[in-house]
Amino acid sequence: MTRPRPDQTPKATEFESLLLPVLDRAYGLALGLTRERTAAEDLVQEASLLAFRSFHTFQRGTNFRAWFFKILTNAFYSAHRRAKREVPTVELDEASEPYLYGRTAEAGLHTVSEDPAAALIGKMDAEQIVRALAALPEEFRVASTLYFLEDYSYEQIAETLGVPIGTVRSRLHRGRKMLQRQLWQIAMDEGIVKGLTARGGAGT
Amino acid sequence: MNAPSRYTCEDTFHRLDDYLDRALSEDELRLVRAHLDLCETCAREYRFEASLIDQIRAKLRRIAMPEDLRSRIHDALARAEQDGRAK
Repeated sequence: MTRPRPDQTPKATEFESLLLPVLDRAYGLALGLTRERTAAEDLVQEASLLAFRSFHTFQRGTNFRAWFFKILTNAFYSAHRRAKREVPTVELDEASEPYLYGRTAEAGLHTVSEDPAAALIGKMDAEQIVRALAALPEEFRVASTLYFLEDYSYEQIAETLGVPIGTVRSRLHRGRKMLQRQLWQIAMDEGIVKGLTARGGAGT
Repeated sequence: MNAPSRYTCEDTFHRLDDYLDRALSEDELRLVRAHLDLCETCAREYRFEASLIDQIRAKLRRIAMPEDLRSRIHDALARAEQDGRAK
């Protein structure tokens, strides 16, 4: 637990009082962007320092979290451009079919559960979801992470990333389909689907 | 051309992502909703996609940062503040 230092300025106290409540979510966002714990921690720390230095530009009464997340996303892009490294990601898939809906139906999950999506994702942990997101190419991953973590509208994501709304819409729709493929792959590879169908079958 | 008075399964399917994201016009929203009320096949697919998004959100939003990161940031801010004052 942190506490104000005796010599802390009012500016620093105010900044930390706004920052601390959003740090967990900021870390989730950083993890989605960087795909790696240490890099995510570094990114949150770097964004915190950048935000502190430009705190005079923050307009009181506006959304601190949105302001901070924009700084964090920009910091990610700057660092990424510097590092110029990219781990392999999934191939872009143009298929428009409802992928996971089809696969879960074929596997019999729709007969063993009223809510097959909840049954499947309920058996996966956050680390597996992050891993599925991590496989998406960067532009799809960044937009999808903002969408899932913050419930941002297309307009808010477009504003955060500085890209047109149509681009955000396309990235989210295609990213969603790519994410479904990755989730299914992980669920198959790690025995989650088998566990669900075997259990459902035993219960009938 | 007049706007359609009702949507087919295909019309609805093409708008499902935007419907999930609340990104349709009022008219389109109403037509998709009306189709989903009548067509159980499309409604089932919609419920699946909506539930999937909710579930992914719930999992990702439970991620907590490592315990020591908060104090590391606090210390880094203190140093930045001192540096700022020294200048």
